[in-house]
Amino acid sequence: MNGYSSILPLMAIMLPFLAAFIIALTGNKALGLKRVLAVIFTFIPLLAVILLFKPIIENGHIVSYWLGNWVPEKTWAIGIGLEIDAFGLFCGLIITLTCFLSSIFSIRYMEKDNGLEKYYTMFMLLTASMIGFVFTGDLFNMYVMLEIMTFAAIGLTAFRNHKYKSIEAGFKYIVIGSLGSSLILLGTVLIYAQAHTLNIAQISAILHGNYNAVTIFALALMLTGYAVKAFLVPCHTWPADAHMSAPSSISMLLSGVMSKTGIFGIIRILYMIYRSKCVAAPSMEFLMIFWGTITMLIGASMAIIQTDFKRLLAFSSVSQIGYVIVGFGVGLSAKTSVAVTGTMGGLYHMLNHAMFKSLAFLCAGAVLYRTGTTDTTKLGGLAKKMPYTTVLFMISLASIAGMPPFNGFVSKWLIYQSTFEAGYWPVTIIALLVSVMTLAYFIKLAQSVFFGKIHKEHENIKEIPWSMRVPMIVLAAVCIFAGTFWNVISDKLIEPAAYAIYNIQGYIDVMFNKGYAQNMFNHEIPIPKMTRAMAGYWSPINWLLLFVVLIIGFIVIASLLSKGNKKESIIDLSDTKYDTFTGGEKEYFSHMAGNDLFWGLKHQFRGYFKTLKNAHSGIVNDYVLWVAACAAVVTIYLFAVL
Amino acid sequence: MKSNKKSYKSSPSTNKKSKNIKVNDVIITSCANVVLPIAIILGAYVIMHGHLSPGGGFQGGVLIAGAVAILYVAYGSDGVRKLFNITRLKASESMGALGFIFIASLGLIYGVGGYRFFANTISKGTPGTLFSSGTIFWMNFAVGYKVLTGIGALILIMVSSLNSNKE
Amino acid sequence: MLLNYIGAFLLIVFGLYIILVKKNLIKIVVGMSLLDTGINLLLVSVGFRPGGTAPLFMNDLKPGSFFVDPVPQALTLTSIVIGACVTALALSLVIKVKEHYGTIDADKVRRLNG
Repeated sequence: MNGYSSILPLMAIMLPFLAAFIIALTGNKALGLKRVLAVIFTFIPLLAVILLFKPIIENGHIVSYWLGNWVPEKTWAIGIGLEIDAFGLFCGLIITLTCFLSSIFSIRYMEKDNGLEKYYTMFMLLTASMIGFVFTGDLFNMYVMLEIMTFAAIGLTAFRNHKYKSIEAGFKYIVIGSLGSSLILLGTVLIYAQAHTLNIAQISAILHGNYNAVTIFALALMLTGYAVKAFLVPCHTWPADAHMSAPSSISMLLSGVMSKTGIFGIIRILYMIYRSKCVAAPSMEFLMIFWGTITMLIGASMAIIQTDFKRLLAFSSVSQIGYVIVGFGVGLSAKTSVAVTGTMGGLYHMLNHAMFKSLAFLCAGAVLYRTGTTDTTKLGGLAKKMPYTTVLFMISLASIAGMPPFNGFVSKWLIYQSTFEAGYWPVTIIALLVSVMTLAYFIKLAQSVFFGKIHKEHENIKEIPWSMRVPMIVLAAVCIFAGTFWNVISDKLIEPAAYAIYNIQGYIDVMFNKGYAQNMFNHEIPIPKMTRAMAGYWSPINWLLLFVVLIIGFIVIASLLSKGNKKESIIDLSDTKYDTFTGGEKEYFSHMAGNDLFWGLKHQFRGYFKTLKNAHSGIVNDYVLWVAACAAVVTIYLFAVL
Repeated sequence: MKSNKKSYKSSPSTNKKSKNIKVNDVIITSCANVVLPIAIILGAYVIMHGHLSPGGGFQGGVLIAGAVAILYVAYGSDGVRKLFNITRLKASESMGALGFIFIASLGLIYGVGGYRFFANTISKGTPGTLFSSGTIFWMNFAVGYKVLTGIGALILIMVSSLNSNKE
Repeated sequence: MLLNYIGAFLLIVFGLYIILVKKNLIKIVVGMSLLDTGINLLLVSVGFRPGGTAPLFMNDLKPGSFFVDPVPQALTLTSIVIGACVTALALSLVIKVKEHYGTIDADKVRRLNG
């Protein structure tokens, strides 16, 4: 595209970089100038993304821009190209919106810290590199932007360096994160050795049909590397520490948005570079669905036993990412109508998760700002003092559990339907179970923090100031809007993005000339038809079948478990609230905290929970061993099936 | 060598404790006096000839930033603190980065053959001489300046945190 | 040419082994740096063309000179810079860990677990 629309993505990337260095120049004076610059220069990329809606989504073009005017010579790409299709624009919208809201939140939230020029510099670098990552069309440029993103995130995690938590979390993050980036670099090197170019469009055209052992090994390494960034299961140990210790306006970016960039990388590799090996291949579909299911289960199980507010939310993020990967795994299936539903479910859940998880983290930040602690055993009864925060947290709870007028229902319904129609019905049952567990630990959290009796030291807290409430209200409004007007969002955002994922021919042709992809692929590449009617959001037959299957499964499992174990269960008597009530207790008041709500469940499964808790030992060598084991397993599996 | 060290341990020559390794030895100081100008000139040569020989902005910048480390070894942290001011180093680092972005956006303003970012718009002379290859020559300077001030500030901060630990 | 690839592979394996087995935090940082060096060596050896010379524009440039591939050399430069930055950041964090915990043994720096 020519005209003004090709300069807009460049502005969106370079202006936050410029702002980062101008803020670093001011030193530690002029705090107001820093705040104003941060808010303005995160608003301009949002404006650029909204202005790019018309050419990309309504007219269906793909914007491309060659840096330095190095246009391809004799159809061989020699420069770095930016290429934005509808999927990249969708991710760009999520990123710019959350960065803008985070910059508004940190005006009041960070007022008690000093050294703020370092915070704002790293914050602008994080924004700029995330936008650059989704807008680029060059494989090594993706790696460089990913590294800048990792450095900025580590610097922000370890920002409050008077607390021991931040330093330990920062060190574990840098070891595991840099291992993941090294795996991605190794995969890039191996792909370059085979294709001799770095442009994603040209690589996918050249590698078609020429897959050998080197490229399959590169696929395994890059999948593991991006899995570390997107925290899939054996590599999920770093976000639990990092999201807990970072300031809350950054935790929402790390948890809600940076994981989406990891998923963006996985999709670019599976659906575009390795297109003819992975799409419509049952073995790859099985791998991604299996991976997503394990992630869902372990994330939810670890979240039930946590006592820290933000650590619980981090494990909850791990489990929701499992849902997204299951959705995209179904998208690799051979039945095209089911595949499209799966892809649309995955995309919708990406948007929803960014919205409701950011809202939950901002509520945690509000509680931390006023009370000074995030330990749920010490909090309680804050609903009377902070009514706005309570209402907004309940909206987030309803969204994540999947209740109908909110947005979680729409995306989870798509994922249930697509896994059921693809033939993977155990996955549907597990997804429903995990959804129930999600509701369980969120209710536990709400009961511990917001309801109940208030502690003595939190008697005089007030509600949070208005400039901190505005981002939370905007996010809650988006949650409600995406749940009730799902047809608008599906038409305008989700369908063009899903079309762009499958439209590899258009993606390649924009960089070169028309017909290049057809020559390389030797045939016309079919794009499955997608309409909203296919999604069957309210289709009653599927609902009834699901219900019947669930009832039968529950009866079978209950009858199996009820025979046999008549062992004595030992109750831990050290806490006085479990004593028999005979008068003269040690304390008048024993707060019915959320940890006691599911005491029966936790006691029955205490072996399972104890194993999981001991497995997350906190030693950095163990975590690295898991990542290496995951890389080995994925490599062996891919060499066996491809 | 051993007798040298023993005689200096008991003398109240410098303001350091005897357990530290930072002793103002005459040998180290005079070697540093000879090596330091050579290091700086070599670094400047590598930056300037980045388009003609292996090297460029980053390598030359690291060589010059090594001057801070040599100064620390020779003169102790007092000598280093007298010469370098850390606020000015940090400000210069940002100015180097801003200079790089400014040169890159010259392509947008002047735009030979289409207005593109990072386009090479300054006149390229004959290849192989010093003033050739357009914007790459000036970008080397911007990158070299940023790297030398950045790594210099980094070494300064690490060294000063080392000092406050021991004393 | 095979020697380069074997050397790069050995460096990567040794770097990974150090991160997995050693408990001292500084040794872990050294292992990360070794892993990066191995990948850089692999990257430079990918671009080799037998009979080529260094890809520089010198004074006596003749048309038809045969260069090795210059793109991997630019990529290696970027990767070396990134490796240096990772080492610097990790070492600063190790200094801070020593201040807070008093020890740099990975078995004792584990207050965030479970």
